[in-house]
Amino acid sequence: MKNYNVVGQSVRRLDAAEKATGTAVFSSDFTLPGMLYGKVLRSPYAHARIVSIDTTEAEKLPGVKAVVTYKNTPREIFNTSATMTFTVPALKPVLDQYIFDSVVRYVGDEVAAVAAVSEKLAEEALKLIKVEYEELPAVFDPLEAMKPEAPDIHANCKEGKNIIGEIIKIPMGDVEKGFKECDLVIEKRFKLPIVKQVQMETQAAVAQVEVNGKITVWSTTQTPHPTRMILAKIFGVPNSKIRVLNPPYVGGGFGVRIGLSAKAEPIAVALAMQAGKPVRVIYSREEDFMASDTRHGGYVTVKLGAKKDGTFHALDLKAALNGGAYCSFSTETPGVLGAMGLAVYRIPNQSYYGHSVYTNVTPAGAMRGFGNPQAMFPIESVVDMMAEELGMDPLELRLKNIMRAGDPWCLPYPCQSTGLAECIERGAKSIGWERRGSLNQPGAKKLRGIGVGVGTHVSNSWPFCVDYDNAIVTVQQDGSIHLASGVPDIGTGTSTALPQLAAEVLGVGLEEVSLTFGDTLSTPFDIGSHASRTLYAAGTAVVAAAEDAKRQILEYAADFLKVSPERLEIKDSLIYITGRELGEDCAGTGVCKTGEERISVTLQELAYHAHLRNKQFIGVGRIVPENAPPWHAHFAEVEVDTETGQVKVIRVAAAHDVGKAINPVIVEGQIEGGVLQGVGYAVSEEIVHDAKGRPLHNSLHKYLLPTAEDIPEIDAIIVEASDPSGPFGAKGVGETGLVPTAGAIANAVYNATGVRFYEIPMTEEKVFRALSAAKNSTC
Amino acid sequence: MLQDYLIPETVEQALSHLQGGKGRARVVAGGTDLLLDLANGKKEAGVLVDLTRIPGLQEITLEDDLIRLGAAVTHNQVAKSKLIQEKASVLARAARSVGSLQIRNTATVVGNVVNAQPAADAAVALVALGAVAEVVSPSGKEYIPVEKLYAGVGKSVLDSTSQIVTRIQFPALLKNQGSAYERLEQRKALALPMLNVAVVVSLADNRFQWARIVMAPVGPGPVRATEAEAILTGADVSLGNIENAAAAARAQANPRSSALRGSREYRLEVLPVLVRRALEAAVVRAGGNC
Amino acid sequence: MSSKILTFTLNGETIRVVVEPTDMLADVLRDKLNLIGVKKGCGQGECGACTVIMNGDAVTSCIIPALKAEGAVVETIEGIGGPGKYHPLQESFMDLGAIQCGFCTPGMIMSAKALLDKNEQPTREEIREAISGNICRCTGYVKIEKAVSTAAEKIREGK
Repeated sequence: MKNYNVVGQSVRRLDAAEKATGTAVFSSDFTLPGMLYGKVLRSPYAHARIVSIDTTEAEKLPGVKAVVTYKNTPREIFNTSATMTFTVPALKPVLDQYIFDSVVRYVGDEVAAVAAVSEKLAEEALKLIKVEYEELPAVFDPLEAMKPEAPDIHANCKEGKNIIGEIIKIPMGDVEKGFKECDLVIEKRFKLPIVKQVQMETQAAVAQVEVNGKITVWSTTQTPHPTRMILAKIFGVPNSKIRVLNPPYVGGGFGVRIGLSAKAEPIAVALAMQAGKPVRVIYSREEDFMASDTRHGGYVTVKLGAKKDGTFHALDLKAALNGGAYCSFSTETPGVLGAMGLAVYRIPNQSYYGHSVYTNVTPAGAMRGFGNPQAMFPIESVVDMMAEELGMDPLELRLKNIMRAGDPWCLPYPCQSTGLAECIERGAKSIGWERRGSLNQPGAKKLRGIGVGVGTHVSNSWPFCVDYDNAIVTVQQDGSIHLASGVPDIGTGTSTALPQLAAEVLGVGLEEVSLTFGDTLSTPFDIGSHASRTLYAAGTAVVAAAEDAKRQILEYAADFLKVSPERLEIKDSLIYITGRELGEDCAGTGVCKTGEERISVTLQELAYHAHLRNKQFIGVGRIVPENAPPWHAHFAEVEVDTETGQVKVIRVAAAHDVGKAINPVIVEGQIEGGVLQGVGYAVSEEIVHDAKGRPLHNSLHKYLLPTAEDIPEIDAIIVEASDPSGPFGAKGVGETGLVPTAGAIANAVYNATGVRFYEIPMTEEKVFRALSAAKNSTC
Repeated sequence: MLQDYLIPETVEQALSHLQGGKGRARVVAGGTDLLLDLANGKKEAGVLVDLTRIPGLQEITLEDDLIRLGAAVTHNQVAKSKLIQEKASVLARAARSVGSLQIRNTATVVGNVVNAQPAADAAVALVALGAVAEVVSPSGKEYIPVEKLYAGVGKSVLDSTSQIVTRIQFPALLKNQGSAYERLEQRKALALPMLNVAVVVSLADNRFQWARIVMAPVGPGPVRATEAEAILTGADVSLGNIENAAAAARAQANPRSSALRGSREYRLEVLPVLVRRALEAAVVRAGGNC
Repeated sequence: MSSKILTFTLNGETIRVVVEPTDMLADVLRDKLNLIGVKKGCGQGECGACTVIMNGDAVTSCIIPALKAEGAVVETIEGIGGPGKYHPLQESFMDLGAIQCGFCTPGMIMSAKALLDKNEQPTREEIREAISGNICRCTGYVKIEKAVSTAAEKIREGK
């Protein structure tokens, strides 16, 4: 394996000091002189027409500077997610909402907003807005919403009752014939919950509209450039007159702000336009829960057929997801669900049919894993059932059927690498797979079990959407390096790993590199941080830009040293002629001479030499990334209290093929965080609505994400099956930690109790009931 | 709207602030529930009278086998107190299970009782310990069993605009006595209980002299499982008797269905498991064996 | 509304600031004293991002009435260390990958500091208890727990 100087090193994050001292600035910390505070009035009804809305009392309240409703804001239809800026033709993005509308479609939908000199005043003003509603029939379940008698939530459904956008169909081979040729077929339907990203910083935006019409928005978006495009469309302003940036830190994302930060940006801009002053809108935690994208819940059906020897022969996957009241990523999510679900195993006959459905709950959009966790809990459960039916070890069955590099699959790019077999092997070793089956004493009330789940994912969003990247590397006059990339850092370490790539390519120390990121004004276009793509795709652009700069440096240095550029290399900011020993006399001087002949020059000297001759090295990277599959195998050990139904996850071994870990500690952190979100998905997290469509889990107290006292032991294992398409062989890792976790835990619960769950989360009551039912049916 | 926040130095001063407020002034200690209730309009107050700086009220004391907790004693103080861990472990465990450490550092045990939530962990343990509240008002001082402080869900018989609970007291457990706390919870921190059970038992010659079994939320406040207690009184320490008591406790419970924290049916089915586990643990601590 | 002057010790300095009875300590620290390291993630004492140390104990400053801090000693992330003299917790959080998005970090470090100020040899359970009210959605807490125990070691070795 090649030795690198900066790549592969767990260097301290470049943003660590600011974050550890409390000086890092986030959108919710950001203030401007004269800034006003915006607050939003939200619908108490799941579906209603606004009969009348009277804002006069609110406007009269001293200190109130702007009140906006559907009557005085742009009637430009949009989609809050970045999909409206990067949907690939001939597909068309679904546009179905306005900043405010005369119909509200979920509890929490925006009705009006106020800007005032203080937050308390703005809240007071909201109470003075009089709204008369006419309630409309509402529907909350996707299957119910598809029935003819269900209310039409939008008028734009072409493919079926309340179906959002197009139905995704992925055919491969002949699935009907395939099932006929199988010895064993298992078909099961699974129900999936609505869950939430719960990023620590709620949605927030600060908008400033200058007298010349220029708009600047500091916000929590994961995609500054696409967000600028959305705002430009809503407000009818040229892209060039809008600047969107992070300030520069973002308190997490997990998909919740790929595009707008819910509606924080357009509401802040609309208020700022009317007030003529900057306006800050910060969602309360409750608003964040009820009025910003969730993960899609819904129904997934898996039908898997195998031959007697365990060879998978046919797979049919179907999904009907709950898209909520407006389309965010409701066409892409079922697409990824199907594509990823079909990509894990070599199966000649496959088909997928999936879509989202409008309902009167909070819109569902992107969340870490993007449809893939919804695919893999069902698929990995059925694979385990198949192993049992076949009398095979679940690992053996998986190893027999997993995709290998070069195998045909449904995806429009090749599978060029897989370390899944190694992931399975190392994860099994870590968990102690051989203990499976001998974990419990007879008569024990607390039962242990071990289960496995595997999967793959993407490393960027192509071909599901537009995906290209730019980066600029500028060698400064003193030889230090400035790097500009349009991606934000939502906490994943982008602002450290991208400089690591540039430093490695350029042969300079990391301390020589600075990065500008997450700002449309000072960085080139980039589609942002999502799809596990930031390091893979933006990194590819950074490498290209650095290589371009390096080529220019070496060409200039070749003249300087009177040697051909091919013979030059850079290390520690020293450009030297390869194939020669550096004389001892050059140590530390930066200027090496052997007799009269120079054999090296520092980048510092060279850059200044160039500067004095009107020349600067500026590398540009403009790339269209390929895509690459990261692979993973999770092993979970659980303990089930059979008297209460409580499932405790004891340990998770999470082995991930990441291609190349550019910064291993950051990679481990991505895996560990993803695993814990997966544990929550499996056993405790969900948002349930009451009969009126009001979300019950709308605070951190009620929404049961794991705390520090709930964590299992997590062993994050890095496997590196280098992919030729990624920077230094790297693949995506941002989302994979939670993809296979629920499946592994469900399989472990089955291993412990003999009871199979077709629904998550496996809460104590659900488990208790299932155990009781199983007991009653056996005796 | 809150107009003032006062920090008196004596109980008398506090009482006079309350009197001066004419029903608009209200006692506050940790304020972890009250401040949120005020912010979202669930409660009203013009003036808050903070008891936490009054000398003496921050202390946990043992005198003549009587443990006394001042009104400013926090959950964390109780959870970490060696005295409580040794002589009333049920309360230490109950206090430890509330909210998060930050909440436990702020929220007081007396506040937990006065706030009168049905499943208030510390209150459930205090009822099992037979605790009594020292209530001071302009008309003088009186002692009211914690068990009798509940007037309904979230409603105390006490009037926080005129009365002050200065202390809560209960007998320290003796060598032949043991206690235990069981809590069915959806996660280990920041979670209200789905069910909680506190028991105190007193044994002699491996027989129950008496037992106090308290369960929640199965009624407006902590509920004594009196039938179960009666079954155990004078009975041998045995698994059978414990099982019978657990079943009797279930028969006396009347939980509600909660969309957030479990159906009535589920709570009823798991309640006897918790009662049994608590009794088994308490017996062990009292030096008995099943 | 009757404004009052609140006097307290903040990061070792005596501070006098005008507050309203309805002001919470977190808002006074953030909005009036510009200590943006005191983060607000929920406003209900449920996320821990606003954790400060008050009279030696970690508390969620978003539900502490500002006037309750009268005469109190309050420490925030801004007061515990910085370049050249980082607190061992800051060092270990930076070195061991305990920081991702960073929004929970100041509160997390303050909770950990309150623990280590009293207990230089915490068990794993004690560490978890100390940060149980600090929600982190990025890290899975693994590296945070390690950073706290490593900082404890450093503190012990430093004596």
